[in-house]
Amino acid sequence: MLKSRLHVVVLVALLLAGAARSPAQTVAAREDQGKLIAVLKSNDASRKDKADACRQLAIIGTTDAIAPLAALLADEELSHMARYALEPLPGPAVDQVFRDALGRLQGKPLVGVIGSIGVRRDAKAVEPLKAMLMKHDAGGEVTGAIVRALGSIGNPAAADVLKTALDHAPSDGQLALYEGAFRCAERLAAEGRRDEAIGLYDALRELDAPHQVRAGALRGAILARGRNGLSLLREYLKSDDYILFSAAVQTAQEMPGRRVTQALTADLNEMPADHRIVIIKTLSLRGDRRAPPVLFAAAKSGPAPVRVAAIEAVAEMGQASAVGVLVELIDDSDRGVSLAAKEALGALPLKEADAAVTAMFKTGQADKQVTALGLMGRRRMTGSVPTLLRAARAGNADVRPGVIKMVGELGGPDQVASLLELLSGLERPEDLAAAEQALAAVCTKSDDPQSHSAALIRALNRGKSAQKTVLVRVLGSVSGPEALKAVRAAVDSDDADVRMAAIRALGTWKTADAAPLLLTLAKETGDQNEKTLFLRRYLAMAGRRDLPAGQRLSMCRQVADMVRRDDERRMLLAALGNIDLPEAMTLIVGYLDSGTRQEAVMAALRVAQDLLKRRDASKYAAKLIEPLEKVTQADTNEALNKRARALLRQARNRAGN
Amino acid sequence: MSKHSAPLSRRAFLRRTAALAALPAIVPVSVFGRNGAVPPSERIILGGLGVGRRGSHVLFNWMLKEPDVQFVAICDPQKSRREQVKQRVDTHYGNKDCAIYSNTPQFLAERTDIDAVLSTTGDRWHALAAIMTMRSGKDIYSEKPSCMTIAEGQAVVETAKRYRRIYQSGIQRLSEGNFTFANELLRLGYLGEVHTVRAHIAPWDAAEMRHDWLPGEPLPPKDEVDWDAWLGPCPWRPYNPTYCRGGWRGFYDFHTSCIGEWGAHTFAQCHVALGLADTSPVEYGYVNNESGDGMVVRFANGIKMVLERDKENKIWHGSCGVRYEGTEGWVAIADGYSQCEVSNPAWMQDFKKIVGDYMARTQRPMSHVRNLFDCIKSRRQTVANPVMMHRSMSTVHAANICMWLKRDLQYDPVKEEFVNDEEANRFRSRAMREPWII
Repeated sequence: MLKSRLHVVVLVALLLAGAARSPAQTVAAREDQGKLIAVLKSNDASRKDKADACRQLAIIGTTDAIAPLAALLADEELSHMARYALEPLPGPAVDQVFRDALGRLQGKPLVGVIGSIGVRRDAKAVEPLKAMLMKHDAGGEVTGAIVRALGSIGNPAAADVLKTALDHAPSDGQLALYEGAFRCAERLAAEGRRDEAIGLYDALRELDAPHQVRAGALRGAILARGRNGLSLLREYLKSDDYILFSAAVQTAQEMPGRRVTQALTADLNEMPADHRIVIIKTLSLRGDRRAPPVLFAAAKSGPAPVRVAAIEAVAEMGQASAVGVLVELIDDSDRGVSLAAKEALGALPLKEADAAVTAMFKTGQADKQVTALGLMGRRRMTGSVPTLLRAARAGNADVRPGVIKMVGELGGPDQVASLLELLSGLERPEDLAAAEQALAAVCTKSDDPQSHSAALIRALNRGKSAQKTVLVRVLGSVSGPEALKAVRAAVDSDDADVRMAAIRALGTWKTADAAPLLLTLAKETGDQNEKTLFLRRYLAMAGRRDLPAGQRLSMCRQVADMVRRDDERRMLLAALGNIDLPEAMTLIVGYLDSGTRQEAVMAALRVAQDLLKRRDASKYAAKLIEPLEKVTQADTNEALNKRARALLRQARNRAGN
Repeated sequence: MSKHSAPLSRRAFLRRTAALAALPAIVPVSVFGRNGAVPPSERIILGGLGVGRRGSHVLFNWMLKEPDVQFVAICDPQKSRREQVKQRVDTHYGNKDCAIYSNTPQFLAERTDIDAVLSTTGDRWHALAAIMTMRSGKDIYSEKPSCMTIAEGQAVVETAKRYRRIYQSGIQRLSEGNFTFANELLRLGYLGEVHTVRAHIAPWDAAEMRHDWLPGEPLPPKDEVDWDAWLGPCPWRPYNPTYCRGGWRGFYDFHTSCIGEWGAHTFAQCHVALGLADTSPVEYGYVNNESGDGMVVRFANGIKMVLERDKENKIWHGSCGVRYEGTEGWVAIADGYSQCEVSNPAWMQDFKKIVGDYMARTQRPMSHVRNLFDCIKSRRQTVANPVMMHRSMSTVHAANICMWLKRDLQYDPVKEEFVNDEEANRFRSRAMREPWII
């Protein structure tokens, strides 16, 4: 006996100890069933061991496991896990075990077993479950489990029991019974037992039950009737009871066909606004082609919320016949209606909508053209670019800037030449600004923006002052060596506007190749304002983190001697603070005695902090100690000094001092 | 003879009917010049189940920003959590009105004034909470992964239909512009003929999960932590506070593995993008690794979905990514992207149009909670409705089962069962612990 007990203990340990050490296998080997059953039978195996055995038998268990598992059903601690293994195990023997358990279990284990019977849909259990129900002494949880299980079984016998229960049950607290009745009705309907299903749904409908039960029952009653459900649907579409009205409308979402659409729309105009909106939302969802005329009528008159809902429905359905209506409604005096119509027209995925927008633009009326321009952008009407270019040349001057900008938005590299030609004839500042935006947009959409430099430079060379200003800025957007050369030349222009545009273009140059030029210009200019501008742009470039740190440090070193004013030093320190190299610290501490002490301290702390956060911080730590010591001695505020001391400690630690 | 005591007995419906008659809130209030001040009578009355860190994000950052929503009660078996939520809600409203409950059935039964529930419990409770909530006549926002088994997903679908409830799974990327743009590129044919979609799975953990129990500790008073309620339908195990602090992740009884952790999002994205939100894949190819990385899942139309762990960020540089590949190009998107990565940059020029057209075509806004609230009022299906949740989660479960059984599987999407594989089919459900049976 002792030997046998020891054997089981070892077996359990071997089988299950792995689970405590590491993630266990979810599926045991099929040949382990015998060992798992032994665990179940063992007096020494723990609750955990037995639970694990049950979990694995749930997947690999055979009929051999049924009896040992059944023996655990009455065990309050293991009853659930026994069901866990038995419930998925196929075959009538398990059903028999659960039925047999009905008579001997109580409390939670009984509730669980009844639940499992429901899951397995054991038709033979209807009679014993009915008998338990009729005794009226089972208690709430057990009764609730019984009626739900009967519902899941869902055969005519179960339906009879549930129907009787519905007829006699009190009105309060019967959600489980309603649930059982629903399940049963659904099952019967699915199996073609329409009349029995209707009987249950109608019984549920007649109850003074919670709203979700009455609404759900109405849905079931309509759908189970098939074609004959239409009259019930019609009846409740006229209901004053919002719960049942909305349930009917929602049910219509599941019902195809013209007659359903007719039922939904029949009395639409006589309904309250809220009812109309819910129906409209359902009409568009159904996508019935007969709905649009009704929606158009609703969109044109009535309370504004209903009109907006109808317009949104029109957009959702995407019918060509909606285009004219929407164009008309854009002019509506109600702003909400107008906006909704505009958005709807913008979203219609139809060429008819494009044509309507083009026609709107061609009216030549400024207000309509402005609306049309917005719609062209919203609809991405790239085909409208030729029309827009013609209008930009000869159209209404008031809308010209918008037209030109739209060419930039919808056009591409093919429009560079046209826009350059257009630019040559423009004079008004707003037109020129629009042309600059458009040219920059179409050039930068190209795979190779710099390929347009030559055309831009040709135009620059022959342009007037205003055009040159525009083109210099556009060249700045395009960048590249040719553009840089042209912009550099423009810096020497006698025209102050062109010169200033060139300086600004250099300052925002995309690539670092403009930096030497900026430095030279800063050195050469005699104008302090220009020098500041060049330096500012140069140092902004030196602060760009997309450039290598070494290159940025070199840029800072080159400019250091030129920096004399405090505002220039601040710019330099800001750039240096972005360079995570110890050498940057050396430069920074040189400014600790200047009027920019505070900025120098902050820049030094930033560099030190960035370096000490790095994985290879020990490489740099020693070089940071001396500069940080100087920083801690600087006359600054307590917070910065505290940070400096902390970083110094950190640097010393990392350096091994 | 009707037994109705009155045609409109429920206060909320009286309120809603009156409100809709005055001003259907599906219409922007700004139309009426009220500057967004929605009268209280038009609000959606909201309650919360198990609102922790994630739930607080959804509640305070998203839901309470909506002008027509009022949060009135929180239910949680953990005292500290329910009191924390009450405190924040009361601070938000400047009163002391947020009610607290510890017992879910009592909460759902008593609060008949509540229209909708935010359920952000642990994964083990998601489906059961949704079913209980909908059965009590309330609509629901249910966090993901929204079911633990295929059978639970089926039950959620059935319950929503049965009681005509509105349900939104917390798969919020379905309501985000970048993810929507990617899906629409696929749908509109920009990618040509799509042959492969790639779905990110969490790059930590494994498909096999833990079956051990943490060491048992003395049970706290029931009012502090109701351990039986915390466990819900899962197998019993001894109390350990680690579970209650989020340490339930990675345990088989409570979690859906690295595949479900992100696959609940990314599989759903793929299902929706492919227009296959109401069906399931037919084949799962076992891969001999710990996570399912590289598993090929095939739909009936031949399109394959590949599970990608992407530990080295070769495909994405953010979490929960998807990538769609076709004969004409590809698109990739993940969290943290400022915009989609695409094979043809010119497509990005159509971004606003494509997302705008989607919203007009579907009437779904780029706000996941707003979509729920709109649908509560219009009674239309949400974007993450029960069917799409169930089908995409079925794919998660089937992929896990494939890994656990270490063999290829075939699945019948109509019967919703594995083909000729009884062991796989036994995984489709787990017996629920009494009294938490459905």
